[in-house]
Amino acid sequence: MFKMKTPLAAGIAAAAAIAITAGCASTDSADGKVDYTKMSSAELAEYLIFETNSFRLDQPTQEGTTVRDRQVQDELQKVCSETRNRPSPEQAGKIIADARASVQYPEGGIQLGDWKKGRELAWSGFGFRVGHNVDDHSNRDVGGNCYNCHQMATDRVGGNIGPSLTGYGKTRGNNEATRKFVYEMIYNPHTYFPCTSMPRMGANGLLEEQAIADIMAYMLHPDSPVNQ
Amino acid sequence: MIRKLLVAIPLAAAMATTAHAEQTPTEVLKGLIDSVDSLYLTQSSQNLMMMDDNPALWTVDEGEELFHAPRGPNNVSMEACDFGKGPGELKGAVAEMPRYFADTNRVMDLESRIVHCMTSVQGFAADDPAVRQRHGSGSDMMKLQSYISAQSNGMAWNPPLKHPMEVAMRDAGEKLFYRRSGPLDFNCATCHGETGKRIRASVLPNVSVPQEWSKAISWPAFRVGHQNARSTQHRVRGCYWQMRHGQSIAGSDASIALISFWTDAARGQPAILPDMKR
Repeated sequence: MFKMKTPLAAGIAAAAAIAITAGCASTDSADGKVDYTKMSSAELAEYLIFETNSFRLDQPTQEGTTVRDRQVQDELQKVCSETRNRPSPEQAGKIIADARASVQYPEGGIQLGDWKKGRELAWSGFGFRVGHNVDDHSNRDVGGNCYNCHQMATDRVGGNIGPSLTGYGKTRGNNEATRKFVYEMIYNPHTYFPCTSMPRMGANGLLEEQAIADIMAYMLHPDSPVNQ
Repeated sequence: MIRKLLVAIPLAAAMATTAHAEQTPTEVLKGLIDSVDSLYLTQSSQNLMMMDDNPALWTVDEGEELFHAPRGPNNVSMEACDFGKGPGELKGAVAEMPRYFADTNRVMDLESRIVHCMTSVQGFAADDPAVRQRHGSGSDMMKLQSYISAQSNGMAWNPPLKHPMEVAMRDAGEKLFYRRSGPLDFNCATCHGETGKRIRASVLPNVSVPQEWSKAISWPAFRVGHQNARSTQHRVRGCYWQMRHGQSIAGSDASIALISFWTDAARGQPAILPDMKR
């Protein structure tokens, strides 16, 4: 999102959200308070987020924006929210096309990094948290959060929101086609699964190129514990 | 008081088979476990074993004392406070919150109602440490919440949806629950939309399974990993932190809307108060 959405675009989106809610403010009740019952539930939800001091909207984020910018939805987030992750065929086609267009490939091709570093990054859930306890990226590398949802090497317990990746490289092989698929899945998984729960690790600027290469090595390298 | 009940109830149950006498929180949880096949409800046998000695029961006792003690600049107890069932009427009050309060013209959750009572009835300043400190078993807030909530243990969640404001907040809360945003594109349903899903080793409750969801929203609960009683608002803040959205402000209308939706999702299932969680 940070790469796809310029600060200007984010600003326009925020202004649009305010304009929508300002429209609702014309339904003020007698005591001067906005009448929540005159809004649609979607309008009220937006109003509550942006106009009622419900979040620390001005808090800075690690990506150089504010919490307010984080709360402004991009097109993908809107469609996936409204359809509860079941986009129509037309919507799904657009999501896939946009996701494909978002993928930037490393210069010199997709290479595997260091699986030992990738192992720690796959385990780590550090990064991008703000609020009462802010993740300081200057102290520690941003993690991939992979184990939150995926089982990988079985010496550590992974979640099951996503499919198991145990033995991934062993069964799929470490070839160019697999490397391209895995890279695109990490970079922007909506390329293959529109409205998936998985974050856009590359497209949203969460993981840097080297971190993706290291995590890919953990998945695909024959020596990695994932493939033992 | 609760601890006395805990001792008395198994005895009473052994002597007579009068069903549905007052249940302990442990018995309420066991009833839920018997009613549905749930990995979430059964994930911690240790917690289940320890629940009769839940440290939050001490917090309940401390809250009872605090509730009835004259306090604040006005030197009055909280007995004059209306939690929705009339002044001082606590039985079942929390099972029917959030609700609309005419005196503030707001839908309020337990925490915001306690704050309202401490400031308006007892006369505390809003920035008084007694009001400002919201977290930890030692805080007035957690003691009061634990005591007031315990008076709804075993009762079915039944948040009123009669006033148009209650309906508006519940419906907006549903939108918030499913609203994906932030750098990771998460919403509440990312973790709470399917049955039997885990984040690492933790089994997650599904919002669509009311028996699971009843335990999920039963706060205050003693969190073993935190060694403290925690509140509903603490849970909301923690989820928004993990989702990387931003800090939810306690007592805010967005937080109360979300709580209105999630309480409605547990409708009809018995509250476990106080609960014990990982």
